[in-house]
Amino acid sequence: MIIAKVPLRISFVGGGTDLPDFYRRTPGRVISTTINKYVYVAVNRTPLINKVSARYSISETVSHPTNLQHTRIKSALLDLGILSNIEIASFASLPAKTGFGSSSSFSVALINALHVYLGKKVNKKELAEAACRLEIELIKEPIGKQDQYAATFGGFNIFQFNSDGTVDIEPILLDYKKQALFEDHMLVFFIGITRTASSVLTEQKSKIDINFETYKKMADSVFDFKENLIKGDINRMAEILHQGWLHKKSLASNVSNDLIDNLYGAGLKAGAWGGKILGAGGGGCIMFLAPINKKSAVREAVQKIAKKNQLNEFCEIPVKFVQSGCDIIFNSDTNSID
Amino acid sequence: MEEYIKDFSAKIETALKNLPVKEIAKALNILQAVYERDGRIYIIGNGGSLAIARHFVGDLNKTVFSSHLNKKTKRFQAIALPTTDSELTAWANDIGYDMIFAGPLKNYIQETDVLVAISSSGNSSNIIKAAEVAEEFGIPIIALTGFDGGKLNKLADVKILISTAKGEYEIVESIHSAIFHLMTKYFKDYFDHKLEREKLN
Repeated sequence: MIIAKVPLRISFVGGGTDLPDFYRRTPGRVISTTINKYVYVAVNRTPLINKVSARYSISETVSHPTNLQHTRIKSALLDLGILSNIEIASFASLPAKTGFGSSSSFSVALINALHVYLGKKVNKKELAEAACRLEIELIKEPIGKQDQYAATFGGFNIFQFNSDGTVDIEPILLDYKKQALFEDHMLVFFIGITRTASSVLTEQKSKIDINFETYKKMADSVFDFKENLIKGDINRMAEILHQGWLHKKSLASNVSNDLIDNLYGAGLKAGAWGGKILGAGGGGCIMFLAPINKKSAVREAVQKIAKKNQLNEFCEIPVKFVQSGCDIIFNSDTNSID
Repeated sequence: MEEYIKDFSAKIETALKNLPVKEIAKALNILQAVYERDGRIYIIGNGGSLAIARHFVGDLNKTVFSSHLNKKTKRFQAIALPTTDSELTAWANDIGYDMIFAGPLKNYIQETDVLVAISSSGNSSNIIKAAEVAEEFGIPIIALTGFDGGKLNKLADVKILISTAKGEYEIVESIHSAIFHLMTKYFKDYFDHKLEREKLN
């Protein structure tokens, strides 16, 4: 048995500039961090069972990976030539499609565990690229590369997506006090509506040419955000998030909607400095940065709107930043004597 | 006599002014990540570096958690290898002195761990052998070296090199010790701060 543990991520600014239609022309940039919510993938060798099993929200047992419904597991197994005698199961601390990049965290965990299963050593860069290849080339998701890199490397990083397809990683070395300050001003709420990133990104992708200058501004604001993050100027960080959110809303018709606008507006009115929707948009989670003495007011304001709109699953998600990226937390294959 | 003392202090001062700050910060991040995933921290060195290694094991495992000793706080798992003199002499006598760290490291090593290797020259063969085991296994290596960093600095993921003239052991070891105290203080402050925040919430 091999168990891979991969954190989810929050990206702050630059999301969307990791799409090839943008970074092929000029470098894209994203600043993000991993959080204390995880996806786990367990892979088990079953020499006596000539089947492939995948256990997630449903359970599948088939004689060949081609017959699997789970596209990521199917493609990964076929690509790596693992055709039988394997069980794969996944676990997560949050539901999918909430804007924390969980599907890419899953891909990273899966690819990492399968490489260990095959006895192949991969470094972090190779792992992130293999996860990108699985999602973008093999499954043809219209997504970028930021989530796979964020989940693999862990901690606060700036990722730069170069026109030749390479990615530069700049870790932001932030001490615990700055991290705690940031956490203490942050509020994250699950809106109660989920959406697939690809539904939003398909429209966004088709309009990259028209919105090119906006994307450029988004990629450049990463430096400004970093500078203020290191200084610990939360108010200014919130303003940058707010600008980024306004930019992002202009990129596709379905990034926001009335409900999201109402929630966001209510948060600001209650005293939040700024914020954004996590992930591609359309649903998922909403994040605010607020003065500590205004946090309760922001909570009450958004909860009121959630109640009015009967968002039964609306809830606050407590978030802490973590340093860990993709880890193999258990591997009994290494120690087997047979 | 005074001049001699001042000369030595000047060298220490120069070394402190040129601390590889980014690499030390990276080392703190790696130790943080190892803590988060419940991994182990193996610390190895020869002679004076062994004394520093053992000192840091004690600081990480106990000093850092001085305010938490009666609490359920998860602690660091730092280990000085080999853990017994009998293993050390068995490996040295039966196999070779090269293997005193690499041999015992293989008993424990897991994907979640990190190796902290201390060698002023960066060329001690028993340290290099252990670093090779870590590299082959794919766990990060934090190296504290001196002089020109030697082979160890090249192998390492985090390169804390105190660059000095060859043979300046006293300077290098003094600075290594200061860096470990910095790390100890950082994590002690971090866990104390965490406790304060928990009280507030």
